[in-house]
Amino acid sequence: MRYIVGTFVVMTVMFTVNVVFAATAEPGEYLDRRVEIWNLFFRMMVVAITIGAVVSGTIIWLIWRFRESHPNAKPTKYEGTDW
Amino acid sequence: MVLELHKPRPIWQIMFSTHHTDVGLLYLIMSLGFLFLGGALALAIRAELFFPGSQIIADSMTFNRIFTVHGTTLIFLFILPSASAVGNYFVPIMVRYKDMAYPKLNAIAFWMIPPGGALIWLGFADFTWYATPPYSIISAPGPAADMWIFGLKILGVSSILGAINFVVTIMKCKHPDMSLGQVPLLAWSFLSSSLIILVALPTFAAALLMLLTDRLGVSGFFNPALGGDPIAYAHLFWFTFHPEVYVLVIPAIGMMYEIIPRFSRKPIFSHASGLAAFIILAIVGFSSWAHHMYATGMSFTEKTVFMVGTLAAVPASAMHVFNFLATMWGGRIRFSTPMMWAVGGIALFFSAGAGGVVNSAMPLDFVTHDSYWVVGHFHLFVMGTIAFGTIGYVYYMFPYVTGRMYHEVLGKIHFVLAMIGTVMVFFTQHILGLYGMPRRIYDYPPIPEWITMNQIATIGAMLIGISMAIWLGNMIYSSAKGPEANMEDPFGLGGRYYYPHTQKNPHH
Amino acid sequence: MRGLIGNMSDEHSSWPEWVYIGVVVALLCWVGAEAWNVERLVEHVPEDAEIIKVVGQQWFWTFEHEDGTKEVGELHLETGKAYKFEITSTDVNHSFNIHDYVVLLDAVPGRINTVWFSPTEAGEYDIQCREYCGLIHYNMRGTLYVEDPS
Repeated sequence: MRYIVGTFVVMTVMFTVNVVFAATAEPGEYLDRRVEIWNLFFRMMVVAITIGAVVSGTIIWLIWRFRESHPNAKPTKYEGTDW
Repeated sequence: MVLELHKPRPIWQIMFSTHHTDVGLLYLIMSLGFLFLGGALALAIRAELFFPGSQIIADSMTFNRIFTVHGTTLIFLFILPSASAVGNYFVPIMVRYKDMAYPKLNAIAFWMIPPGGALIWLGFADFTWYATPPYSIISAPGPAADMWIFGLKILGVSSILGAINFVVTIMKCKHPDMSLGQVPLLAWSFLSSSLIILVALPTFAAALLMLLTDRLGVSGFFNPALGGDPIAYAHLFWFTFHPEVYVLVIPAIGMMYEIIPRFSRKPIFSHASGLAAFIILAIVGFSSWAHHMYATGMSFTEKTVFMVGTLAAVPASAMHVFNFLATMWGGRIRFSTPMMWAVGGIALFFSAGAGGVVNSAMPLDFVTHDSYWVVGHFHLFVMGTIAFGTIGYVYYMFPYVTGRMYHEVLGKIHFVLAMIGTVMVFFTQHILGLYGMPRRIYDYPPIPEWITMNQIATIGAMLIGISMAIWLGNMIYSSAKGPEANMEDPFGLGGRYYYPHTQKNPHH
Repeated sequence: MRGLIGNMSDEHSSWPEWVYIGVVVALLCWVGAEAWNVERLVEHVPEDAEIIKVVGQQWFWTFEHEDGTKEVGELHLETGKAYKFEITSTDVNHSFNIHDYVVLLDAVPGRINTVWFSPTEAGEYDIQCREYCGLIHYNMRGTLYVEDPS
């Protein structure tokens, strides 16, 4: 089992390395840096905005749920002690 | 120690005192004064950019001087001294010592700031807060430039003296019953930021001297005409000032570590993780300085190293966010003004950090470098995180400093307006940068998108301006006429505050 | 660490935080790998790229083509060719920027920095200075004219 997984991992890594280093422009065809760079930017913004939505959603939910005026608000176990 | 409420003192007694609360008060008042001065300059910049063409500022030289002094003032004369104010008030109390370790040195460190600030404001230099050579050597008009250099020199020494004092107070003067790990996180934030200052700042001090002798023409360290290299200055500058970014932000995080558990009515989720994150940040912060310099013609290898170094600092910051949210989870949160500022600061801290990750990705630097994206990014840190944390903390310590309570509703209005304004100004500036608007420009071509976004940003800035005016009025009125605060529990939360208002001031 | 923290040890599991840190680190690795790969692609200069010498000075741009023609404030290029800019400055730092083609590099006196691109669409594009360089920095602008090859 271990060997199968190991082989698979090594093959994946080698395949990736191959893909990465094999990329060379053909003569007369030039890479368009606008496309490469803006695509990278939009990929990262998709991830950033997704995470941002999760984080700010969590913050908003925490603010809504744990405000002291929430119907289910309970005193924390530290209240009344000298914590 | 309640000031002046029951036993007023003449002002000179406070000015010439070396007691940590008195020095803290001086730091606080002076830093807030410079906040309003620097903020007024920001409003002038925004008003000028409302339309293309010349609006309220007569010429580009004046504009260049204004943004230079705006940046220098808010970093060196607001953020650093306001952190020192909080540190002066709270660090000795948290480590249970009667005062700072070296009270006279403390007062000297404070009294170096007014002359430094005066040099900067009377000179009004124009070479940006970064004083980049060769412009600053061969082109920037004196004596403004030389006054700026001397001003920064003085402020740098003051910072180092303050840092020594904090390190010794925390490491050597803490109560023997308390291990270093038990020192509260606010005090820990001052320990780690002070250690960063001690390692980072001497480099800039040296660079400033070299810049001065270059200007005098006796050396050519950064002058290509004399065989020097301007990029060497960039390395020296950023070796100090990237870690300095953490010096600015760490105390603000420390202040949130005091506010958020207090108002959530439960202890911090993990003291150990907050402490570890401070230590990691203080070390890893030194591995990323040249990410400011991708566009100066660095090699692929150099860029890769500094990108990895920059990304390495992110987990430590992310740990703070986790800690804050986990602390709020399961609490019973009272949203008084300080808590609103702290939570708003966390939300903007995430946005600023995400923008920073995008900046550090090497190819994206071709898009963002020296554009308004960068302006929006770092202002989300200095305004959205650092100023929010600090303003929240000023509200939190207001009863401790004055013995009176501020006006709660006005405090909340201040927060809401400032939050809306901050989002309007700095998120818009990110997009403006994507449209290619360079930073530090007096005028711009009438491109419709640029005009619209500049106008949104200017309106946001005016909202912030209004909110700050409300704050100023609230502070002045409440410190004289506000209702007397209940010093045992000013916010009605229970638990043990670091508010020993009975503390003896021997100079009293 | 336990000893240092002493009795401050927390009363809950720290697993959620470790998982969270793991996710953050994984995301950062992804960002770094993607950025590294794209940077490697855009930095690979084609061998047949024509060299354009760019000189920045207060407050205008000068261009010199391979055949020796010089242009001031404007630059004429053709679609379908690759161009490599050799950028320097004669006085203070500037930053050569054609935002529409994501070309950006500092012009530093005493150094020659290189960046390449290949225009794809005919038209007029703005050239601007992105590094603060003094009085007329805001108006240190030029125009790039991209034409189809005749």
